[in-house]
Amino acid sequence: MKKITVLFTRSPHSTPHGREGLDFAMLSASFDQQVSLIFIDEGILNLLKDQQPMLTGNRDYIATFKVLPLYDVEDIFVCQQDLALLQLNQQDLLIDVELINDHAIQQKLADADEVLVF
Amino acid sequence: MILHTIQTSPAKGNRLALCLRFMREQDSLLLLGDGINSLLSPQIKQQLSNTTLYLLQDDVNARGLANALMQYDMISYEDFVALTISHNKVINW
Amino acid sequence: MHTFIIQVNGPAYGSQSSYHAYRFTQACLSAGHQVEKVFFYQDGVLNANMLHAPASDEFDLAKAWRELATTHQIPLINCVAAAMRRGVLAETDAKELNLSQWNSEAPFSNAGLGELVTGIETAQRLVSF
Repeated sequence: MKKITVLFTRSPHSTPHGREGLDFAMLSASFDQQVSLIFIDEGILNLLKDQQPMLTGNRDYIATFKVLPLYDVEDIFVCQQDLALLQLNQQDLLIDVELINDHAIQQKLADADEVLVF
Repeated sequence: MILHTIQTSPAKGNRLALCLRFMREQDSLLLLGDGINSLLSPQIKQQLSNTTLYLLQDDVNARGLANALMQYDMISYEDFVALTISHNKVINW
Repeated sequence: MHTFIIQVNGPAYGSQSSYHAYRFTQACLSAGHQVEKVFFYQDGVLNANMLHAPASDEFDLAKAWRELATTHQIPLINCVAAAMRRGVLAETDAKELNLSQWNSEAPFSNAGLGELVTGIETAQRLVSF
């Protein structure tokens, strides 16, 4: 088992990074890896409530974030500073997350066995 | 110790900026592809002055930047492989 | 000797990512390391399209991957879901969909994303491009 960190850094819908990052995270969890998700910069926008991906011709992968706990993925972190920069707060997000600062993110990147950036 | 890699130009996105925010003192940075163009910016040059920095030589030469960037540590693909082993992991932004 | 899994996220033509990965893989092998597999994900799956047809005086990266894999017995694994939605199909995928044509063949093989995960689990290093 490895500690795999998936870093979401890009906004959803205009590129498949978010969707393919989530696919990878779910697969890793179903293969019994210790998975954590960290959302920074516009990657945070993946977690907004009330999105309608079908309006962009895409599948609604956003709803899939809600099933992460069923895969035992509970380490979901959002960069506090970036959330504030986007003028958003925790109530705007679809799922329960833990807000952490840049220093804590550095520590998590250092602790992981592998980090994949999407 | 992490080896961070940047393949894209700062003109195309914020990959390097994100990397620098989360990079620690003991980490290293490898610029390859258009990531090398970062060093054409005096501001970024300054920002990287205390970073352990490597450039992929073939990509520097391909871009005609060997003279402009001669002060930096140029590495081969073989060196790149060795760096991935001497660091604990590689993060490609 | 160290063991590697290489992840390729960019196409054979139009970005440098696949070329970087190719040269890195060659350098790994020449240094005596083992490349357990090369996993193609995101736009990287386009490398498996066997219909790349660059001019005869240009480097054919998709072909170079196939030759490298054959020479060194390295599995080239394409994420099947990412590949199919980008129009890269192996014969078995095409047959399941009752399609008469396909554009990917050995040494590339289409497999699940789980191959990336198991590769990460067993290899000492993941290097993504």
